[in-house]
Amino acid sequence: MVAPVEEIYWDPYDVELDKNPHAVWRRLRDEYPVYRNEKYDFWALSRFADVQAALNNTKTFSSARGTILEYIGTDFGDLDVLIQMDPPAHTALRALVSRAFTPKRTAEMEDRIRAICGKLLDPHVGSSGFDYVTVFAQQLPSMVISSMLGVPESEGEEVRLKIDEIFHVDPQAGMINEVSINARLWMASYILNALEDRRKSPRDDLFTALSQAELTDEQGVTRKLTDPEACDFGGLLVGAGTETVARLLGWAAVTFPKHRDQLRLMAEDHSRIPGAVEELLRYEAPSPVQGRWTLNEVELHGTVIPAESKVLLLNGSAGRDERQYDNADTFDITREPRQHVSLGIGAHYCLGAALARLEGRIALQETVRRFPEWDVDMSTAVQAHTSTVRGWSSVPITL
Amino acid sequence: MATVKIVVDWEICESNAQCMAEAPEVFRMQPDDTLELLQEQPDESLRHKVQAAAHACPKQAIQIQD
Repeated sequence: MVAPVEEIYWDPYDVELDKNPHAVWRRLRDEYPVYRNEKYDFWALSRFADVQAALNNTKTFSSARGTILEYIGTDFGDLDVLIQMDPPAHTALRALVSRAFTPKRTAEMEDRIRAICGKLLDPHVGSSGFDYVTVFAQQLPSMVISSMLGVPESEGEEVRLKIDEIFHVDPQAGMINEVSINARLWMASYILNALEDRRKSPRDDLFTALSQAELTDEQGVTRKLTDPEACDFGGLLVGAGTETVARLLGWAAVTFPKHRDQLRLMAEDHSRIPGAVEELLRYEAPSPVQGRWTLNEVELHGTVIPAESKVLLLNGSAGRDERQYDNADTFDITREPRQHVSLGIGAHYCLGAALARLEGRIALQETVRRFPEWDVDMSTAVQAHTSTVRGWSSVPITL
Repeated sequence: MATVKIVVDWEICESNAQCMAEAPEVFRMQPDDTLELLQEQPDESLRHKVQAAAHACPKQAIQIQD
C-alpha cells in the first residue's frame, strides 16, 4: 500500500529528516515496511529482517547499477569497482584483495594507529577544548589508510588534503564538482605511479600487495589486478574508509555526553570499549542507506516491487528495529551483543570492518585516556549532509 | 548416527573467525589466518552451534546441507 505523502514521508536528501530520522523510520517499520517514494522513484526497506535478507540476496538486489540513490539505474559499462559488482565477478575480485584486510592482518596496524591518535590528540591535552571532528575524527582514518597503502610521511599531508577535496560538496553542484573531480584524477594518477614504483621496488605495504595480487581460479587461469582495477580499488578504499570512520567518531563525540554514566564506565574500564564501538554502529549507523537495483520482481509484506526498481536498504533503521533489539532506542554499551547490519552482511560486508573496529577502539581508548570527560554544546555542532554517510562535520567539545 | 553436513565457500571466507567463537569444536583459525574445518559432518548435537556459526558469519560463507 502506497503511503500518502501527507501521512508519512522520507527521503535521504531531506536535511531536517537527516537530523533525526528515527521517528519516521519507526513508523516505516511499523506501518510501511515496503515504502514507496514517488518523488525520487525509489522503494525502501526498513526492518532488520528485510534489510538483512535483501543484503544477502544479490540475485535479486543488484549492486551493479549503483548503490547511491543519485546514480542507481545508471549503466556503468565495464566499471569494475567492488562496491558496484555482483557475484560471481565480485567474488573473484574481492578475493584478490581481501587477505590484506582480515582481522589478523589489520591488527598489525595497532601501534601505528595508536601513534597517529597520540599525534592528533596530544596538542590538546590541558586545553579548554577542540573540534573533535575537524581536528581528530576527520584526520585519523585518512592518515591510517595512507599509512596502510604506503604513502611516505613526507607526502601524507598532500594526500590527506586531496582526500578532503574528493569529498568536497559544492553548494550548487553537489558531490560532483570541479574540486572533487580534479582531486579524484590526481588520486588515480598518484595510485598508478605508486603501483608502477612498487613493481620495481616492492615494500611491505598495500600498494605492493595490490601490484602483486594474484589468484588462480578453478580452471587454472591466473588472475591479476589490472591497473584500472587497482586504481578503482584504491579510490574505493579512500572513499569508503575515511568519511565512514570520521562519522563514527563524530557520533561518539555527541553521544557520550548524553550518557555520562557510560562515558565514565568506558573511561574506567577499557574492556567496555569494543562494546561501545558496536553500540555506536548499531545506534547511529555511519552509512545508514544502501542502494540496490532489482533484477526481478519481488514481493514483501503483500507489496510487489517491480523488476528494475531502485531500492534503498535502510540499515540505519534496521539498527533500531525493536523486532531485533530490546529497548532499541536506548543507547547501552553494555547490552548483550546481537548482530547488526551497520557494516553490511554477505558479499558486500564491509571489507574494512576489522580496520574500522580497530580504529574505533583505539581512537576511543586514546580519547578517554586523555579526556575522561567532555561536553558538547549541540547548538555549535554542525551536521554534514551527503546521501552516502550520516553524521557530523564539526563537533566542538569542551573539556 | 545423525550428523550435520557443513559446506564452507572457501572463496568467500575472510577469516573473521565468528564461526570459531560460536562453534570452536567445528571451526578453528590456523596460524596462517585460514579457516580449518575440524569436522565436516559433526554430530547432530552440535547443530545448534553450527547454525549459530552460519548465522554469525559476516560473509555468509557457511551452509548447512541436509
